[in-house]
Amino acid sequence: MAEVLLHIEQLSKSFPMPGGRLLTAVENVSFTVETGSVCVLLGPSGSGKSTILRIIAGLETQTAGAVRLRGRPIAGPGRDRGMVFQAYTSFDWLPVGKNVEFGMKINGVPARERRERAARFVDLVGLTKFIDAYPSRLSGGMRQRVAIARTLANAPEVLLMDEPFGALDAETRWQMQELMVDIARDSGATIIMVTHDIEEAIFLADKIVFLSSHPGRLREVIVPDFKPAERIRNKERVLELPGFGQLERKIMRMMREEGERV
Amino acid sequence: MASPPGSRNAGVLRVRAPVSPRQSAISAVGIWVVFFGVWTLANRMGWVNPILVPPPDQVLKTLYTLFAEQGFASDVLISVERVLVAFAMACLVAVPLGVAMGAFPAIDVVLSPFVSAWRYLPAPSFIPILLMWFGTGEAPKLALLFLGVIFFLITLIADHTKEVRKELIETALTLGAGQRVTVLRVMLPAVLPSIVTAMRQMLAMTWTYLVIAEIVASTTGIGAMMMRARRFLHTDEILAGIIVIGALGLVFDMAFAALHRRLFPYLQESR
Ligand SMILES: Nc1ncnc2c1ncn2[C@@H]1O[C@H](COP(=O)(O)OP(=O)(O)O)[C@@H](O)[C@H]1O
Ligand SMILES: [Mg+2]
Repeated sequence: MAEVLLHIEQLSKSFPMPGGRLLTAVENVSFTVETGSVCVLLGPSGSGKSTILRIIAGLETQTAGAVRLRGRPIAGPGRDRGMVFQAYTSFDWLPVGKNVEFGMKINGVPARERRERAARFVDLVGLTKFIDAYPSRLSGGMRQRVAIARTLANAPEVLLMDEPFGALDAETRWQMQELMVDIARDSGATIIMVTHDIEEAIFLADKIVFLSSHPGRLREVIVPDFKPAERIRNKERVLELPGFGQLERKIMRMMREEGERV
Repeated sequence: MASPPGSRNAGVLRVRAPVSPRQSAISAVGIWVVFFGVWTLANRMGWVNPILVPPPDQVLKTLYTLFAEQGFASDVLISVERVLVAFAMACLVAVPLGVAMGAFPAIDVVLSPFVSAWRYLPAPSFIPILLMWFGTGEAPKLALLFLGVIFFLITLIADHTKEVRKELIETALTLGAGQRVTVLRVMLPAVLPSIVTAMRQMLAMTWTYLVIAEIVASTTGIGAMMMRARRFLHTDEILAGIIVIGALGLVFDMAFAALHRRLFPYLQESR
């Protein structure tokens, strides 16, 4: 993990509030994201995680600072930064396969290549049986898989995910987390994920960016280096590693301190 | 009388209790049987003046003669044509405008103040001026129908388009879609089922304006036939006209419902 893909430099964002005051959501946050790594933004709610992710996606503009992708400052949303939201975003009028093809279609990928790639990513998320089904027939977890496949098939340089599993039940949630390990390992994707689930953060992250709230500031960058370089898919095995519990307790303490500050 | 626990409220009226298809069919037929029964009874017993309220069987006979001998079908056809032409024109204008207003706030702030103001003007208040502008042909009738629904239709479509979830739009943008693709390939298909539903509601309203137009300012069509009948105290023809208007409204509504099912099969699949 050498090359830096994304530089987040002294990023600040304030929102105008009714009454003319400004609410500082993010203040002077800097970190880097390496090519092929999984970076998790963790922190209590209101710490500006979503705001940072949305600035990286180009859906929000920063008040100060910069986000550079391979050195180029980003300007507006683009296909190089695909986003998966917590809310379902399946295009209900298209069957699963066509949902996954959507990005490629609007970007002019020829029909044959499009279908092949879509089939491959639908398979990656385990939905081959449902490729012709409409999303309304799918469960919540399956719809999130469609969203992930649709974003990955569009070949973004970074996959941005804002609490993608927040609405799922516990079992589906860890299955999806293990799926993310597969994706990180097999597709080599660079992933930035927002969560407030400590276990999820430690399990998936190569780097945890811990933010404190009101205003959202960088508190600590944590590298869970108790994990081996080779990604482990099985969640229990990661939970069993010496070092997991210690890190989990450390982060829980940080969370509690944040809670006590307000 | 020992009743099992929980059966205390087990009468006919239980909140949100499902009803069997049989019960609902019997109920639907039943209410009409009662209606025609009371009507017939009122005639038989001499409670009503038969000139003002003819018995139902006479109305049905008149309905038959109207079609079979008096060329009523051409009136019906003219009325249907007016509704369809005016409604199609309204849709052609309202769908693009409504979607554009719902998608682009910059367009909304221009058109919204204009459209909302017109909505509060009852369309029939334009009849005198429409007659002066367009004479007595088809144009003033079509214009009234058009004016009667267009502003409501635009507002409904704009509102539905504004309800398209932000995440869907942002998903499109982060997949690399531009403005045009986002509106035409994501927002439009997302809002289309609601647009068709809005059309269905507004078509019913078009029928209302049709009858007004034909009663006030026409010599052809179902409404005009009813006004002619009034002059000769032919209440049976008036009632027959009402039945035909009701039946046509029902047929068009069912056609729209069928179209909705046909166009949006994915909505039925949800469990
Ligand atoms: N569009 C917005 N307008 C005004 N305030 C906002 C907006 N988006 C976020 N905020 C505020 O910024 C702060 C950080 O929000 P957010 O980034 O959503 O935090 P997180 O995702 O960590 O919970 C919160 O106080 C939130 O209320
Ligand atoms: Mg958030």
